[in-house]
Amino acid sequence: MSDNKKWYSLDLGLNNKKESSGSCGCGKSEGSCSSTPKEQVEEELSPEEFYEAAINASIGEERHRDGFEQVFDVKMDRRSAFKKLTASLLIGAGAVTTSCSVTTGSDTKEKAQIDWEEQFKGNYKLMTDEEKQGTINRLMRSYELRTDKKINMTAENAAEDVLFGYAFNISKCQGYMNCVSACVEENNQDRNSEMQYIRIHEMKDGEGFKFDKADDNYYHEVPAEGHFYMGTQCFHCDNPPCVEVCPVQATWKEEDGLVVIDYDWCVGCRYCMAACPYDGRRFNWSKPEVPEPEVNKNQHYLGNRMRKKGVMEKCTFCVQRTRKGKNPACVEACPTGARIFGNLLDPDSTIRWVLENKKVFRLKEDLGTEPKFWYFMD
Amino acid sequence: MKNRTLIYFVVVLLGVSLFSCKGEEEYHSISDKIEGESKPYHGALTSEQLLADTELIEITEGEHTFLIPERKGQIKSFACIECHSKPVSQMMGKDAPKAHWDIKVNHANSDAMNCATCHNGEDMNQLNTLTGKNIDFNLSYKLCSQCHSSQFEDWKGGAHGKKVAGWAPPRASNTCVNCHNPHSPSFEKRWPVQFNTKTAIERNEGLGH
Repeated sequence: MSDNKKWYSLDLGLNNKKESSGSCGCGKSEGSCSSTPKEQVEEELSPEEFYEAAINASIGEERHRDGFEQVFDVKMDRRSAFKKLTASLLIGAGAVTTSCSVTTGSDTKEKAQIDWEEQFKGNYKLMTDEEKQGTINRLMRSYELRTDKKINMTAENAAEDVLFGYAFNISKCQGYMNCVSACVEENNQDRNSEMQYIRIHEMKDGEGFKFDKADDNYYHEVPAEGHFYMGTQCFHCDNPPCVEVCPVQATWKEEDGLVVIDYDWCVGCRYCMAACPYDGRRFNWSKPEVPEPEVNKNQHYLGNRMRKKGVMEKCTFCVQRTRKGKNPACVEACPTGARIFGNLLDPDSTIRWVLENKKVFRLKEDLGTEPKFWYFMD
Repeated sequence: MKNRTLIYFVVVLLGVSLFSCKGEEEYHSISDKIEGESKPYHGALTSEQLLADTELIEITEGEHTFLIPERKGQIKSFACIECHSKPVSQMMGKDAPKAHWDIKVNHANSDAMNCATCHNGEDMNQLNTLTGKNIDFNLSYKLCSQCHSSQFEDWKGGAHGKKVAGWAPPRASNTCVNCHNPHSPSFEKRWPVQFNTKTAIERNEGLGH
């Protein structure tokens, strides 16, 4: 990888180090982690040790925490500490009463057990594959216990040598909105608030992109005379501002370029929504409701699983589909072929042909967000 | 004096190195990254399973080799000569059964095109080019590409048209007639499948909270 570098950047062993081994934070097998004399830092440490020491000095044990420790072993004000304790206590009390009770059924006990374990799970980003499997097993079982229906949830990780990209043909889109419908159905969006990840903007020919003058709620036959249509959704920026501002690291960029959200870790502060220059994020003001027969039961932890009230959500390029090799639902549903999806790293892919042979542009490129969503025309 | 410069240097170097290791990224821009890490994909993900139910043919046009759906099996009354036993002129009489009564040609104007522009009156099982060469029904895109050359270029590369099934290799693309009705190729005006009344409300509510 480092052979391809276009300029000098200091290699502190960041890329060689996958997972820190051993229980000790600084990577040393013996001795204390915290007390590293300052002179040693400058003179005797290898670059790798130096890096470890530097991180330790700034965030210390924080990064090695998991599960329970992430929740409780942090500095917090009294209010949030009490809130967390109360929530956990309620669940704990529930678990204790149900598990000790002779009258409650085994299902209730199991449900209490699941709720207990879910309450104390860590951030998905930091989970091992076994822990990921553990949480999706619990969520599937929990759904079954609550509704008597089975769902299939996966925790597929990003595939190697894949970087997802999207291209949108503004001269093909006719505003039929098949993409929006398909997206809502695929991703189990709330039907009450009519949440939609994709917006189709109707714009006047010859005026360029004027979002303030565009009609996003058109209600007439399409395509309308003298208008063109363009869609926006999450652009999965390579340099995403939403990730930068998240105070709890509930949103991050995956290896294949998808910007995802851990719905269970999100605290609903909506900083990301404010930071997104593309109106790409949505907030659940109420508990999302999907009629049981319409629920898409093929789910991914980071994708279309059922959300709750007060969390953010957004387009994930249908992670539950694309990590299986399928196209996102919007691409499949588009009747005019205006939407193109593929692997940016594969020189034989159609998305690469579009980028190399058509005139492409991106929205607000000057912001440096590097969206992986290109527009082009015939 | 020397010592002081040395210390100054060390401090600056340390400062610079600390800042330079802020991110894990090693590319300036996404296009650098694409260029730097690009290689043909032979990974675990494939579309083969998704394509298993579709009858496909491999074609090579220029430098592009990909799959297209087989067509003849999809045409309900193929082979054509099962009915077209006589030349068209003789079958068009008053008493003859009307089979294609619902087809209206709405493709270019009647000066430019008629049935015989595409269909071979002598051999109804084949299409024919403008110069009278036979084209198999499975390869009907060759017929369209005679006039629609820029669309053909885009289609070969993948900028026009749609893929069958997924993004992962092997590539399978729909042909012209999978999306366009050859007798009336343009897309019709119609109502959107859904419309959104809540965007404005949602935005205002977001501001109000």
